[in-house]
Amino acid sequence: MATPSRSTDRVNLEHITVLLIDDNPQALDILASVVQGFGVREQMRSTSALEATHILKRKPVDLILVDCAMPEMDGYDFVKWLRREMPSPANATPVIMLMGHAASSKVCAGRDCGASFVVTKPITPTVLLQRIRWLARDEREFVTCETYVGPDRRVRNLGPPRDTAGRRASDLSAHVGEATEGNMDQSAIDDLMKPRRVAI
Amino acid sequence: MSPPTRVSIRSSLSRKMAVPGGRTVAEALERAEKGLESHREAGLVTMGLKLAWLEAAVASRAADSTGEIYRVAADLLDMSGFFETGPFYEATFSLCDIADRMQAAGSWDWPSIEVHVRSMRLIMADGCRESEPSRTVLKGLLAVARTVG
Repeated sequence: MATPSRSTDRVNLEHITVLLIDDNPQALDILASVVQGFGVREQMRSTSALEATHILKRKPVDLILVDCAMPEMDGYDFVKWLRREMPSPANATPVIMLMGHAASSKVCAGRDCGASFVVTKPITPTVLLQRIRWLARDEREFVTCETYVGPDRRVRNLGPPRDTAGRRASDLSAHVGEATEGNMDQSAIDDLMKPRRVAI
Repeated sequence: MSPPTRVSIRSSLSRKMAVPGGRTVAEALERAEKGLESHREAGLVTMGLKLAWLEAAVASRAADSTGEIYRVAADLLDMSGFFETGPFYEATFSLCDIADRMQAAGSWDWPSIEVHVRSMRLIMADGCRESEPSRTVLKGLLAVARTVG
């Protein structure tokens, strides 16, 4: 759901604080350079998700970029912690999760942790900036229930945000109505998400 | 079970990005690309070291190194994902994929790992360029991957 942009469009990230989390210091440096290029002046870095939880308790941030695979506490558990343990509105901080290879055991964790966006590598500055701009216009409601806390995951047919180029008259409203049928069985949901090999 | 609550929240990201100023998208991307480029050389050195580790692991075929092979391959994938490494990235992704599936199935197959690692070396030696030989190599890896798991 990339937001189309013209090269003359402006993007203002000068006033935001970004928290970057990746256990690989080299990857962290690379990511920091990219984000700095976007115009971000204040960024904090952490090589451990656990350490990042302490940072967040001391200082609020506007955007979090977190790698999914890390020892101790991985990106999925970190986002779950953020959504459930931090007070509002810090718990709704936009999170972009960066994913290289998703181990099959983690597919469901990725679906349910509550990240605002999952960006799969290879990561290009163009894609990352598009996602940040999209998040700034994100109109999804923040959902809290016993099994999930995070932005509404049902975004497929919403189209680009209102007042954005590319939005069509047929795109649905951001408002999601009450469910009219009973919940699907969890095993049926898991089955839908199960990775399958396909012949190309 | 309590009913789910839904609230609309305008994030501080949204509010701060709405303030006029900043730079053009073109300028932001150009600067970010330049920042990324400054890490390329060191990134390629790291990729070479991780690939050498994989080659050594394949040569020794130590039973206790299988988990580490997935971890190092995933690190390699992360690093190669920052730069334009096309076929190398795809080959590394395939290695992660088969290593993950073999671990999950409890049936480790060294020859499949070895053919991936050797292919990655071949692609890297060719500058990670898209080419007819690299496409042929990737087709071969796909065929190997189909037999796994």
